[in-house]
Amino acid sequence: MSAGVGVELDDVWVRFGDFVAVREANVNIKGGEFFSFLGPSGCGKTTILRAISGFLEPSEGTVSIGGANMAGIGPNKRPTALIFQNLALFPLMTVWENISFSMEVKGAGKKERRHRADELLELIALADQGEKMVHELSGGQRQRVAIARALCAQPDVLLLDEPLSALDLKLRQHMRTELRAIQQQVGITFIYITHDQGEALTMSDNVAVMRDGVIEQVADGQAIYDDPATPFVASFVGENNVLSGKVTALSKNVATVDTNLGKLRARVATAVQGGLNTGDRAMLFVRPEAVGIVETGSRGGNKISATVVTEEFEGSNYHVFMETAAGEPLKMSLVNKGQSRASATGTKLTVTFDADRAVALPVGALASE
Amino acid sequence: MKSSTFLSIFIGLYLIIFFGYLFGPLILMSMTAFNSSEFPRVSPWECFTLEWFDVLARDDALITGLTNSLIIAGGVVVLSVLIGLAGALILTQVWPRLRPWYYTIVISPILVPGVVLGISTLIFWDRLGTMFDARYDSVFYDGIFLTIIGQSTFISAYCMLVFISRLQRFDPALEEAALDLGATHTQTFRKILLPFLYPAIGSAAVLAFLASFENYNTTVFTVIDQSTLTTVLASKVRYGINPSISSLAVIIVAITLVGAIAHEALRRREQLKIERGEITDSSSAAANKMQGWLSGNPAMILLMLVFVAGLGTVWFGSQYSPNQCKVDVRLQKELLQQRQGPDIFSPQGGEQTQPQAPAIPDGSGSGASDTNPGRGTFGDVFDPGNLEEGEGAAPSGEGSSGGGSGDDGAAVQSPGASTFGDVFNPGNLEESAGTGSQE
Amino acid sequence: MNPVTVLRKFFDRHGLFVGGYLLAAVTFWMLMMIILPQLTMLDFSFRDNLPPSKVGGPEDVYTMANYTFLVFGSPGNPEPFNVVDLSVFGRTILAAVFVTVFDFMICYPIAYFLAQVARGGVARLVVLSLVVPFWVNELLRAFAFKILFGASGVINTFIVTIGLVDQPVDFIKADIALYAGLGYAYILLMIFPIYNAIESLDKNQIEAARDLGSPWWRIHWRIVMPFAKPGITSGCTMVFMLSAGALAAPQILGGPSSLWFTQLIYQWFNTGGNWPRGSAYAIVLLASCIIFVLLMMRLFKVKLGEIGR
Repeated sequence: MSAGVGVELDDVWVRFGDFVAVREANVNIKGGEFFSFLGPSGCGKTTILRAISGFLEPSEGTVSIGGANMAGIGPNKRPTALIFQNLALFPLMTVWENISFSMEVKGAGKKERRHRADELLELIALADQGEKMVHELSGGQRQRVAIARALCAQPDVLLLDEPLSALDLKLRQHMRTELRAIQQQVGITFIYITHDQGEALTMSDNVAVMRDGVIEQVADGQAIYDDPATPFVASFVGENNVLSGKVTALSKNVATVDTNLGKLRARVATAVQGGLNTGDRAMLFVRPEAVGIVETGSRGGNKISATVVTEEFEGSNYHVFMETAAGEPLKMSLVNKGQSRASATGTKLTVTFDADRAVALPVGALASE
Repeated sequence: MKSSTFLSIFIGLYLIIFFGYLFGPLILMSMTAFNSSEFPRVSPWECFTLEWFDVLARDDALITGLTNSLIIAGGVVVLSVLIGLAGALILTQVWPRLRPWYYTIVISPILVPGVVLGISTLIFWDRLGTMFDARYDSVFYDGIFLTIIGQSTFISAYCMLVFISRLQRFDPALEEAALDLGATHTQTFRKILLPFLYPAIGSAAVLAFLASFENYNTTVFTVIDQSTLTTVLASKVRYGINPSISSLAVIIVAITLVGAIAHEALRRREQLKIERGEITDSSSAAANKMQGWLSGNPAMILLMLVFVAGLGTVWFGSQYSPNQCKVDVRLQKELLQQRQGPDIFSPQGGEQTQPQAPAIPDGSGSGASDTNPGRGTFGDVFDPGNLEEGEGAAPSGEGSSGGGSGDDGAAVQSPGASTFGDVFNPGNLEESAGTGSQE
Repeated sequence: MNPVTVLRKFFDRHGLFVGGYLLAAVTFWMLMMIILPQLTMLDFSFRDNLPPSKVGGPEDVYTMANYTFLVFGSPGNPEPFNVVDLSVFGRTILAAVFVTVFDFMICYPIAYFLAQVARGGVARLVVLSLVVPFWVNELLRAFAFKILFGASGVINTFIVTIGLVDQPVDFIKADIALYAGLGYAYILLMIFPIYNAIESLDKNQIEAARDLGSPWWRIHWRIVMPFAKPGITSGCTMVFMLSAGALAAPQILGGPSSLWFTQLIYQWFNTGGNWPRGSAYAIVLLASCIIFVLLMMRLFKVKLGEIGR
């Protein structure tokens, strides 16, 4: 298997009039990678996708695919194929005609096209459905036809613009696995756009998190989750308890933050090591699953007193929603190991978390819900 | 509830009056096409006849006009659909600040009176012709070309509106998808956008054809020395009337009805197709098809009835010969006339298979043709032989062998022509025609 | 952005072939069919009626003569104004207004019925019945009215037979035939815009008003009509313009003494052989139509796009 063709964004800006849709984007996507752009709607991720596919020219900077500068090259000349958010299947063509459209426009004969379409239908497990019209297919089937149509063009890079957003939850989860499998099978670069962190984290080799046209962090899923680079990433990806205060001490990349709940210790995020100094205002992020009830007699560590507000049982987990002494919400998720579920509303608890599993970051914007 | 019954009676009554107004004139006109009376009228009813259709078919001026109208309509369809499509496609791409201006300009021909469009086209191309020193038989002075241009000016705007409304439902992502899959712009246009627009192209073409075919206001200026169906009709209706025009109306009404039926059937089928698409069990839908086609669709049923009635009329007409009836009526009229003398309601004549003579302009405009009872009633009776002949006979007097053959146009217009047959004198014809036009 | 980049982007977007077609078609339409012909006509209306040999010569100068003729008549005119032509103009405008009002009055109930009361098959039947007469040639429709209203027409025969009058009534001279024919011709153009507007009105509004005890006429006056205003304006504008600009119906149904303004234009072009004067008259017609549209837009606060629909 070849290494595939990489995509590089070098200092890309996209402006629409006075509005800056993408600001100084620098991304290096390796060949054969499954790469996701994750961010809330309107963050500029679709704009980046359109710049890569050639539907718009960046106002500044360059897009290169396989090392070749793509400036001035139209979408029909780029080695990319795009799967649209609404799929954009041609309603007046049959399934197989849709799939083999890219061959039709290159003048391939009908037999050849039909043959290739049948191969791809096999791949997407829709053999014998080639003669149907698009509207006769179910949502998931259409999805797969769109993928087959894009693959038929033999692109070096497949671009996917939230293609799963129209599907229901179950199908969506199924398609995630399927997409990942297809990607590994064909071995080309996938660039995936989504606002759904679950999709991004499960499928991708690497994820770029975007906010307001700015790429905040590029890393693999685990790093994004465990070691966020900005408060936005920390609050957008997964759930996080936020506590803010002032850095009073730093030692070996562990910061002591003076919050209104007392002094708490947390690891300084990798991205800001050296950038966070004593005296700075900081935010401290703790995942609910990193929070635990203090065992009687344990010493030291971060300790917070809180009152239970309500409890939610989810099967494998249960979530305890609490209020700290300062009146801030605090969530704790406990794995269901058959332990007695503790806490009625009003119960006072003392909870704790490891400094290692909390992250300290300079103060910044959070993701709005 | 009392008030609601009153209301529905009122609504029913109103609808009846309204549709009476809408259809009454057309029905009456259609009926006159089947009355053997020389002048288009329903009462008194003389004899059922289809002869006016023959007269119509042999009317050369009308046929020439019809041919020209069809040529023009063809040209207008091509030009207007092309321009309207381009106009609609460009609309979304005009600089937003200029868009209202663009829209105002291209939509204005719809609001500008047709005569103004005709005049401006005529003058503009005349000026262009002068500029290029073109000869008078060149395209700048060609009635058919100018009419195509003049009509297309506003018909293109109609077409554009049709396309705009269709394009509003087009997903631009389809175009992008095609480009993305390697299609060129032209291929995208041809393979994606154009097929999507086919239904709109169809309706725009039909609209353009109809609008062109029935246009008069613009055409009358741009057609110069040529003629179209409408200009021929106009001069016929204004100057000399006979029921062959009604028979043309019958044909047009029939075509319109058939078109309406076809359209409705098509629409119905489309709808069924959609329904079938939703209900995956297609076999049961197919079983219901015929039933569904008619049920709950009074429009269809009514149109079918009208259609069947029309076919019946044609069949009846082809089996039936009105000659005996005509002779009866003529005799009756003679008797009546001998007793009462001329009467303004007396029918104007009895000769039947006679072609319509060229119309003679009469200055009086209004009712000249209805107020002259002195039609050469006896002429035909005295010389039945001329029933067959005299296509080319004009009121010049050349067709004097049978006075009746030439008298149609002339005598109808001239009350001065004697009831007692001075039309036999060829010289009289010119004279009477003269009198007629001086009125 | 300068025009060159705009043009380049345009061709980028469409490709050379399609882009070329779009640009050529629209340019030809706008310039050669709409703008330049109108400007030429305007220019022409300010010129004297010269034989072709003198066109472009020293005598070919701009003049207001054609317009002053419409207002004051020929120089030898004893009257202070061109009474004949001006009264034709005035009567045309008034009659067009009358036809518009008449059409509105008979069409509004039908449009309302179609949009809010009629259902399914009935509605389709009504629509079809409206459309079929509309596609019958304008001249033939006028002809039908001539048959109906002529001296020996159906109506006269009927009223004479039942003894309502002893002599046939000259409906044509009284212009009744003309008004009926013109009103008839544009029914569809009045109904459809109003229908489109009323159709989008939420039935609940009407029911709410009825629930509050509003009488039916007030429901229409206060709820339906204001809601349908753009449609009504559109319909009225179309009918007015077409009536004022009609030529066939006045030629066929008009009495011998009452001319329509378009007929004057027609005469200058055909029998009169004075094209510049005809152009001037046409410009006057065009200008009055534009003024009418602007007036309607101002009065009822609607946009041109809503009228053109």
